[in-house]
Amino acid sequence: MKSVLTTLALTTALTLPGLAMARPVTLTANLSNYGGDGAYLALYVTDANGAYAGSLWMAGGKSKYYKHLTDWYRFTNGDTAQVNGITGASVGAGRSLKISLDLADALFDAGYTLHIDAAVEDMRESPNEIVVPLTTQGAGTAVKGRRYISDFTYDM
Amino acid sequence: MKKTLILLVASTAFSMPIVVPAWSATPTPVGNITSAVFSPSINANENELPLIFVSDDDERGWSRLVGREEDDDEEDDEEEEECDDDECNAGARNPAPAGSVAPPKNGLFGTGAPPQVQVK
Repeated sequence: MKSVLTTLALTTALTLPGLAMARPVTLTANLSNYGGDGAYLALYVTDANGAYAGSLWMAGGKSKYYKHLTDWYRFTNGDTAQVNGITGASVGAGRSLKISLDLADALFDAGYTLHIDAAVEDMRESPNEIVVPLTTQGAGTAVKGRRYISDFTYDM
Repeated sequence: MKKTLILLVASTAFSMPIVVPAWSATPTPVGNITSAVFSPSINANENELPLIFVSDDDERGWSRLVGREEDDDEEDDEEEEECDDDECNAGARNPAPAGSVAPPKNGLFGTGAPPQVQVK
């Protein structure tokens, strides 16, 4: 019995810091009725120096179109390993994309910025469709997109 | 009668400078005698200049505008149109879809759990 309790205490102690270092976040992008095919969206983060930190999601599965997500492509050189396991379908006009994920605590209030690049076939490319600093204060505040995204919100 | 003839000749003389250039601008088969006579300087098959699209829009787009800027892109655009399956994509592999492999270890995902996605 004592050994069980000891093990339980130990696993709890080891798990808690991990949980405390992440927070559940919901990213919501509402697309406008732009009257075209499904939009490719690249969601990625840059650090306080403007350097690429990593990708959060890729909407659109065909890598041959990634060059149209121009800023993301410039940062990654189109490396698909950056979005392995975090890639889904493109998002149609007028639809809503909701992503629930655990984000590292260190991303908030530390100068990190979330970007969304967008592209639609036979339509204009839209790098930095959304640019929003990751802050605890900014959570829940809708940000307007430039061309394809009506508004974007992250909630914690 | 003489007056009528004079008027006819005069009106013909005035209209010829207008009619002849218009006639010679009409495309005619090579070797046609009419072409040789009336269009010594206007020939659709010689000195043909390419049409240039003029636009003040300098933004880039998917498929339409990229190809006009670089030859390489033009080839890529053709590939985009012809290849809709993954087999054409030998050079650039598509990423693994969500759920099939773990997310990248880029330090952004706190617990390493894959994102849950919903499209409405």
